[in-house]
Amino acid sequence: MGLHKLRLAAAVPVTFSSRLFLKPFTNTLTLGLFSRHLQPRNKPLLVRAFSASAAVQDIPATQTSDSSARPLWKAAIDFKWIRDNKEAVEINIRNRNSNANLEAVLQLYENMVNLQKEVERLREERNNVAKKMKGKLEPSERERLVEEGKNLKESLVTLEEDLVKLKDELQHVAQSIPNMTHPDVPVGGEDSSAIRQEVGSPREFSFPIKDHLQLGKDLDLIDFDSAAEVSGSKFFYLKNEAVLLEMALLNWTLSQVMKKGYTPLTTPEIVRSSIVEKCGFQPRGDNTQVYSIDGTDQCLIGTAEIPVGGIHMDSILLESALPLKYIAFSHCFRTEAGAAGAATKGLYRVHQFSKAEMFVICQPEDSESFHQELIQIEEDLFTSLGLHFKTLDMATADLGAPAYRKFDIEAWMPGLGRFGEISSASNCTDYQSRRLGIRYRPSEPPQTGPKKGKANLPATKFVHTLNATACAVPRMMVCLLENYQQEDGSVVIPEPLRPFMGGIELIKPKHK
Amino acid sequence: MGLHKLRLAAAVPVTFSSRLFLKPFTNTLTLGLFSRHLQPRNKPLLVRAFSASAAVQDIPATQTSDSSVARPLWKAAIDFKWIRDNKEAVEINIRNRNSNANLEAVLQLYENMVNLQKEVERLREERNNVAKKMKGKLEPSERERLVEEGKNLKESLVTLEEDLVKLKDELQHVAQSIPNMTHPDVPVGGEDSSAIRQEVGSPREFSFPIKDHLQLGKDLDLIDFDSAAEVSGSKFFYLKNEAVLLEMALLNWTLSQVMKKGYTPLTTPEIVRSSIVEKCGFQPRGDNTQVYSIDGTDQCLIGTAEIPVGGIHMDSILLESALPLKYIAFSHCFRTEAGAAGAATKGLYRVHQFSKAEMFVICQPEDSESFHQELIQIEEDLFTSLGLHFKTLDMATADLGAPAYRKFDIEAWMPGLGRFGEISSASNCTDYQSRRLGIRYRPSEPPQTGPKKGKANLPATKFVHTLNATACAVPRMMVCLLENYQQEDGSVVIPEPLRPFMGGIELIKPKLK
Repeated sequence: MGLHKLRLAAAVPVTFSSRLFLKPFTNTLTLGLFSRHLQPRNKPLLVRAFSASAAVQDIPATQTSDSSARPLWKAAIDFKWIRDNKEAVEINIRNRNSNANLEAVLQLYENMVNLQKEVERLREERNNVAKKMKGKLEPSERERLVEEGKNLKESLVTLEEDLVKLKDELQHVAQSIPNMTHPDVPVGGEDSSAIRQEVGSPREFSFPIKDHLQLGKDLDLIDFDSAAEVSGSKFFYLKNEAVLLEMALLNWTLSQVMKKGYTPLTTPEIVRSSIVEKCGFQPRGDNTQVYSIDGTDQCLIGTAEIPVGGIHMDSILLESALPLKYIAFSHCFRTEAGAAGAATKGLYRVHQFSKAEMFVICQPEDSESFHQELIQIEEDLFTSLGLHFKTLDMATADLGAPAYRKFDIEAWMPGLGRFGEISSASNCTDYQSRRLGIRYRPSEPPQTGPKKGKANLPATKFVHTLNATACAVPRMMVCLLENYQQEDGSVVIPEPLRPFMGGIELIKPKHK
Repeated sequence: MGLHKLRLAAAVPVTFSSRLFLKPFTNTLTLGLFSRHLQPRNKPLLVRAFSASAAVQDIPATQTSDSSVARPLWKAAIDFKWIRDNKEAVEINIRNRNSNANLEAVLQLYENMVNLQKEVERLREERNNVAKKMKGKLEPSERERLVEEGKNLKESLVTLEEDLVKLKDELQHVAQSIPNMTHPDVPVGGEDSSAIRQEVGSPREFSFPIKDHLQLGKDLDLIDFDSAAEVSGSKFFYLKNEAVLLEMALLNWTLSQVMKKGYTPLTTPEIVRSSIVEKCGFQPRGDNTQVYSIDGTDQCLIGTAEIPVGGIHMDSILLESALPLKYIAFSHCFRTEAGAAGAATKGLYRVHQFSKAEMFVICQPEDSESFHQELIQIEEDLFTSLGLHFKTLDMATADLGAPAYRKFDIEAWMPGLGRFGEISSASNCTDYQSRRLGIRYRPSEPPQTGPKKGKANLPATKFVHTLNATACAVPRMMVCLLENYQQEDGSVVIPEPLRPFMGGIELIKPKLK
């Protein structure tokens, strides 16, 4: 455990720093809270009445209510499964460089189960006492029972309060356990990611090339300077043909993805912060990527995945309604706290951008094939635009907590002189649905029992959710401007986009 | 004045409550502060040295630096001399516009400021004289007297200069609530006094029971308010299916039409510094603000693209040859809609977030009236092309926000809601915003005076005029299109101009599920 902790402390910031998209949180706890739980807590809970509260007194209740506020919602985490698959979960946590504390979760869970048993036992005892009092009794015997009942009731109240606190804490600590991982995912850091496919080759230029920033300035397409005054650094105005190019990219993407049976959506860009959490992102803290609205519990979305994930929150879908396939357009807002360096140049990393995002809700057995469908759609889109790119099966340490498996696409950006991420497709299996409360009711009749009515309905299951970038506009602009630049400083518009921008084939330098 | 104040207290909330767009602020002050300045302050400032600070002691300096008035982070280039020289016109204008700006306080503060400035200059001169005298040969007693006098003068100056800074801050603060002047043709009065400039079309007659856009949006699976209420809160919505394509078509078509008139397309940041919001004439803070602020920063969400577009040329001097600058900007807009309630808030009519294409013009002062006409003409042409029944209003004085010199609103017939509803607004803000944003231009003609060469010979800069006008506020347009083009079978016809922009779709049909 010591070694593991050491490794975490060293590895987490390094591994995650170079990646792009919103980072789902892996842990929300102070380490001080953990250390308490690492002490073995094997005191028997089978003590009686008054002393029962003493048995759970080492639960740091005040600390809980201090450092971690009561959770406003609960993930339907399968604690039994975690306990029964302890080793696999532990290995998974290690492989993913997560700082989730499995030992604390299991200890809290055991305490919770024992406390629950104790509560049930006391309830039964209280009922027995109440039953006895119904008969005819000696006054002294009645007095004794009254006293005993009173004591039991008081103990119960205390224990039930403890149980609530314990459940809250268990929830809090357990929410940082990441999703399990697809067996084919390479184990390791970013360098271990496997190339799934590589398309095209880098264009060879016979002239000195510009990066998209220079092209954006020369062609009067992008204005970072005014935006820095008006809004702050890493904001921008698009201007002239760039506005049409953004619209063309979104319109074309929408039309292509709709052909595959995806329902188009626009979404709210302000959401309750609980929805952000349920999707696996951390809306608070010093390093949050999330802008919060002053004086409310709302924040700005970093991706349409969040409001689309929320559409079917707390509902039970019919099996016949699945799969639900969405293509959602939204603006996205990210603080990009902690981002710095060359990777942040120009449009590559910005605070606000337009994005079309695919989102699928399906039965568990279908999520792998939909993951393939999503990455195939992405690859088809980027191939149509003539980009040179590679598809990566991202290694374990590079997966956010919700992802069971993640395919990233990195495209060649000649001006920046490197590959850069342009999309990401994740299968989150039931990680998000257990938090968002999205279930479905299988349509087959259950095997058991001849009973009729509601009891006979098949049990609900959690759906699987998947999300995938269809078009993150600024990154696409980097690719298009840098790859399609001509010697005279103009930029050719790829053929598929032309019908969506009034037939424009070329962005030419303006004469002023 | 008593009558005026009474009228303000009664009239302001009523007049403004029924209007739609972001309300520019008319006043940022507590009335407690005002009353201080209403006391005549005619003590002569021509007192000497030590007693000088006493002369300005009735300036509520501590109150200024305390809670009610923070130091302004920026200053509007308000023409105080003009205000003083046109006191009556400004007073009438403030009254006509139901503004609670306090002209008397402004003039009093300005006079105090001018006097204090003179006093500071006089003391400086006196101090210089003392310094000069000390250069010569002097009796020791005389030198000592001069040293003492110089020391006293210096101390007095420090105090007075501090007072002057505070006084200027307060003057700025109080004066920022003075509204723009008003075009002479604007009807004086409340909303009912607004004059109809033009009326186009007639209400469609339906031979079947009609639905409102909410019902149509539900039946056709186009709009989802219920999920948005859970995910975000009330008055948020998802667009779905053809509604997404309709939004894109509206924006694409609008952009293509307006670009033909020489407007440069833009997308804008939707998070801006709150000072930019203020400089455009909106109030980003306070209980009734329409503006969402970002936690832990000085930034807020824009309520209209007018704000970031106004900011593009902030603090700059443009060449006359660069004017006019004509923009058509697409953005999402965010509004708290604090205090909005009632029937007018139904469905898409009043929402927290929406898409909008906004026109913005920066021009020379002499051209702003003709560009105002151009903007309203573009709006009328757009809405006529879509076959809407609407009327254009020359908004009455009491219905103008502080920045507007004149404002034309367009109200379109919404059969499902059973009334006209505002779908656009075109304002000429003359130099109200440019004096705050610091946007000037340098006339190209050589100046008349002087044979001198070099920089001094450049013509003086002037403030540009700014205008803004809605080209397409998507949700209101959707209300119009869905409600006006509904058919008996529950389908909705897409107006012909939009069809090429939504893949040729002519009809939104009920889905079979």
